[in-house]
Amino acid sequence: MKKNDMRQQIAQLGNGAHALAIQLLGNTDDAADAVHDAFVKVLGKPMSYNAANGPFAPWFLRVVRNHCIDMMRRRRPGGADVGKLADHRPGPEASLEISQRDRGLQLALAKLTADQRQIIVLRDYMDLSYADIADVLEVAPGTVMSRLHRARMALKEELIQDV
Amino acid sequence: MSDRNRHIDQHVGDLLSGFIDGELTQQQRQLVTLHCDNCDECRENLAGLRELRERVGTARLSEVGEDQWRESMNDSTVELTRGIGWLLFIAGLLIVAGIGVGFFIFNPDIPVGMKLLIIAIYGGLALLLISVWRQRLIESKTDKYKDVEI
Repeated sequence: MKKNDMRQQIAQLGNGAHALAIQLLGNTDDAADAVHDAFVKVLGKPMSYNAANGPFAPWFLRVVRNHCIDMMRRRRPGGADVGKLADHRPGPEASLEISQRDRGLQLALAKLTADQRQIIVLRDYMDLSYADIADVLEVAPGTVMSRLHRARMALKEELIQDV
Repeated sequence: MSDRNRHIDQHVGDLLSGFIDGELTQQQRQLVTLHCDNCDECRENLAGLRELRERVGTARLSEVGEDQWRESMNDSTVELTRGIGWLLFIAGLLIVAGIGVGFFIFNPDIPVGMKLLIIAIYGGLALLLISVWRQRLIESKTDKYKDVEI
């Protein structure tokens, strides 16, 4: 893949990658750092992506996810701090932009497990296929539908409770 | 339970998610359609899941736009080129310094006393720098406040 094409694709994936990183790290700034680090890593070694092994988007998202997991291990041994995610409040400017509806969704998402949050973001926010989701999460493709369904039902339940 | 063994009057469960995502086989789609025609619970679940997917899909889970990521990537390129620039500069400097030291040491026109004096000055300076660098390295590893976020 040409470097310019890669840059183009990365820029398009940035928003979704950031949303995914937020679900793992529970903090928009840490998530932005993680995505930025992934940019540096990928653009520094563009040859590390081999198109023969699959599409670019899942590969890049896997790089972001692995980097987030490394950050979690370094900063918070034992996994993502879900409590912090639930308590996370955006800054004043962001607050104005985020509608009340999205805020309710974010709070409901925060009550799910990290695995459930990731799979929902990958499918419903980023519109990835089940095969690509399996690739990003490094799970068997046959398990994606049941995991996703459980995650959606859990999110639905949380949203109903919040009403 | 495998899909083959699922009967039309049994709730279709996770197939509902596969159905709205367009990830089912034709046989599975037919099973879901026929079941939902006769099951209020699964029909409601299907509608709820569709609504949920729409809600997540149209939400703003990240406030950072594509243009900002482009800028961020430019920063990444700047960081990368700066790193390569420093590497080339230091490598060139070391080669030039090595050649200079070689000429200085093996130059018969410079008296030995002068050579020793200059070696002592630069050697001392190098030792001081190494000492400061080592101290900083130890501090960065043992500083108990290094993880405190300001």
